[in-house]
Amino acid sequence: MSSPSLDISRSLSKPRGSSAPVPDDKIGEIVDAVIDAAPECVRKRVFLPAIDWALVPPHKVRLLLSSLDQARLALPRWLAKPLLLAGHTLPDGPGDALPSALKALSRLNGAAGEPSEREALSPSLESLGYVSGIESDIVVALVRRLLALSWDDEALRFALAHAHAVPQALRLIGGAFERYLAGLPSVRLRLSGSATTAMLADALAPAFAVEGWRADISEGGFGSALGDLLSPPDDGVDALVVLLDSEGLAPTDWRHPEPEVARLAAERADMLAEALETFSSRANVPLLINTLPVPSAPTAGLLDRQHGMGLRRAIDVLNQRILEAADRSGRIIAVDADQALSTLAPHEQLDPKLWYYGRIGYSPEATQRLARAFSEAWRIARRGPVKVLAVDFDNTLWGGIYGDDGVDGLACGEDFPGNAFQALQQECLRLKAQGILLVGLSKNEARAIEVFEQHPGMVLKADDFAAHAVNWQPKAENIKRIAADLDLGLDSVLFLDDSPHEREAMRRLAPEVVVPEMPEDPADRPRWLRRLSATWPVRLTGEDASRSAVYAARRSAQELRARAASFEDYLSSLEQRLVLSFVNARTLARAAQMHQRTNQFNLTTLRLGEPEISALAEDPTRGLVLLGKVTDRFGDHGLVIASAVEIYGAEATIRTLLMSCRVIGRDVERAFMGALVAELASRGVARVRGAYVPTPKNGMVRDFYASCGFSQETGESAETTWTFAIGEAPPPGSAQVGTSWET
Amino acid sequence: MDTYASETELAYPEICEIFADVFQHAGPLARGTSPDDVPRWDSLQHIALIRALETTFRVRLSMDEMMEIRSVGDIERILARHGV
Repeated sequence: MSSPSLDISRSLSKPRGSSAPVPDDKIGEIVDAVIDAAPECVRKRVFLPAIDWALVPPHKVRLLLSSLDQARLALPRWLAKPLLLAGHTLPDGPGDALPSALKALSRLNGAAGEPSEREALSPSLESLGYVSGIESDIVVALVRRLLALSWDDEALRFALAHAHAVPQALRLIGGAFERYLAGLPSVRLRLSGSATTAMLADALAPAFAVEGWRADISEGGFGSALGDLLSPPDDGVDALVVLLDSEGLAPTDWRHPEPEVARLAAERADMLAEALETFSSRANVPLLINTLPVPSAPTAGLLDRQHGMGLRRAIDVLNQRILEAADRSGRIIAVDADQALSTLAPHEQLDPKLWYYGRIGYSPEATQRLARAFSEAWRIARRGPVKVLAVDFDNTLWGGIYGDDGVDGLACGEDFPGNAFQALQQECLRLKAQGILLVGLSKNEARAIEVFEQHPGMVLKADDFAAHAVNWQPKAENIKRIAADLDLGLDSVLFLDDSPHEREAMRRLAPEVVVPEMPEDPADRPRWLRRLSATWPVRLTGEDASRSAVYAARRSAQELRARAASFEDYLSSLEQRLVLSFVNARTLARAAQMHQRTNQFNLTTLRLGEPEISALAEDPTRGLVLLGKVTDRFGDHGLVIASAVEIYGAEATIRTLLMSCRVIGRDVERAFMGALVAELASRGVARVRGAYVPTPKNGMVRDFYASCGFSQETGESAETTWTFAIGEAPPPGSAQVGTSWET
Repeated sequence: MDTYASETELAYPEICEIFADVFQHAGPLARGTSPDDVPRWDSLQHIALIRALETTFRVRLSMDEMMEIRSVGDIERILARHGV
């Protein structure tokens, strides 16, 4: 941005709803000068994109275009884009070479909103839903324009299709998205993770909406993955989604000696495998769980995949355990993170500051892609892949046109460029081997089917097709007849055709058929077809299915009981320790920060600051501020629980009690309460009081005092107060957490 | 509160759009506008705000800057520091 254009762009850029920073006549002069110089500028590729073209009237844009035309210069894309984003429309000539998204924007900019225009533009808008990699500003401009025309359905569908790459487009839709969701069938998801899942929860709604479901999500909270696997969700849930991340699942405490590090890593993998085993034997809903992606920073350099200290090696081991579990259990669906994130470089998959800030294990971009991968996996698990691949012949299965070029003129074989077409035929054969029926759909003389036998480069043969229609009828009619013959629904048909017209006709006449946008370049098509999730199998071949049934039968129920760990066993095996201390100069800032930031596990949400906390801690006969640090076998969680208490002689009032969500669900809070009550007793307190002050976020602690043996004093309003008579009621505590005092 | 007379007075008018997009906040912005004034500005949406600033202004904000941003005025100051 160091070009001299910057100043001009600033002075010309006019914030919406305000007057221009320079007078209009001055802007006019600058624009005229720019248009004068346009051919020279286009030739040298400078200057023009920096202008805010929204300020330039349409007749001057036409002047610009005709001056380029006279200079025999094509309108370059870098100039067309800002013109279109500024709301201008381009005539057919200069706009012809633009990518489809910009062409659509040009037509929308020129549209007045007539129903006939909507009818005409609708199929090309639908096809744009399949085009990946449209730049985010173009997506946003298209959605804005569609909304301005009140074409809300088209705006919604387009924004939804691109929500994983351009989430802000969906936010433009506003309430219409909520209304659309309300009309979709619900899928109730329990979401848990090895770290924070809130960002994924937000991304799952649009991701599932693309597949036609409304995701109703309940979150297990931070670090709830193993707990949820060991105590599978109840009937109120249709699937468990588990988000694993390397930072949350495989942190290493390098204070341990090396053999210990390796042993802990192995134990962690065992623990995950056992939890998956328990899940598959107890749960009656599917589990969608991701593998861990390739790490971007090794811990053993070149030896990262070989040595026990290597992070990549640890991740490989964990992934292998996940994949083994998925292989054995029909209920466990493993989502390959490397595949889901393949369009991002490893360093783009994690934003370290977000990890340190909120234990968020994936960057926003990676989270969006994982959400899409989870929703695709759910669709595949529920509906399976398509059953029919209906495929065109000319310029799809071979290069050239049979009617024009004859058999000998068709490109398909071992050599360039026919090898790209032969590769697509190989992919068709692969899909056939994976259980998808092939159907030939070609507008051709009937004898075109003989090409497969006559041309030496063809690897597909006529009898590989379960059916074919080679005639001059509309392809939609042919596929409807064939689908009826095969007794299959049209929604289980995938249609591949190089011609945009044929694709558009199919979308209009047989809207149930799945019609993706096939890449124009034949070289891109084989890999594109492999990535197309509509073709992905759930399980492969009956032999696989029966093998896993045999496997399941071999294991006796007793064996299962022996292997499956309970949640309590899991907690005990963590060897958790709560280390208590009173607040001091070193921990004061952290105590205050916890008071500001904790929302969920927070009894009173009283935001005490540093001065108030130190005041309470000053005199041991008047108050105390107790802090707790949690450690377990795998490492330190740091200071995670705090309470500030006021003491008046033999009575004490808990002013605040709060805990970080990092350790929720591990019984730490009850161990802490036990220690707090014991400490107060040692200071001569006989009665402890506490209050629960409800907020929109702290519903999880409504019954906390009851679970610690407190009795309710008042509770007519939403706020409840509680009391505990030391010595009369059994002291609270936890068998799962050992406590000690910091020395 | 130190309010802007109009959105042109914001050093970076894009901040208005970012607040509308991230927080669905349509109200006026002031230098002192803080999480207390914007109901959806919680710790999770703070991340979305940081990301929107990073992509819109093509900067990379540090951990310290992420913590430093507690108001619209902070955003302006930090963007200016990045030479935006």
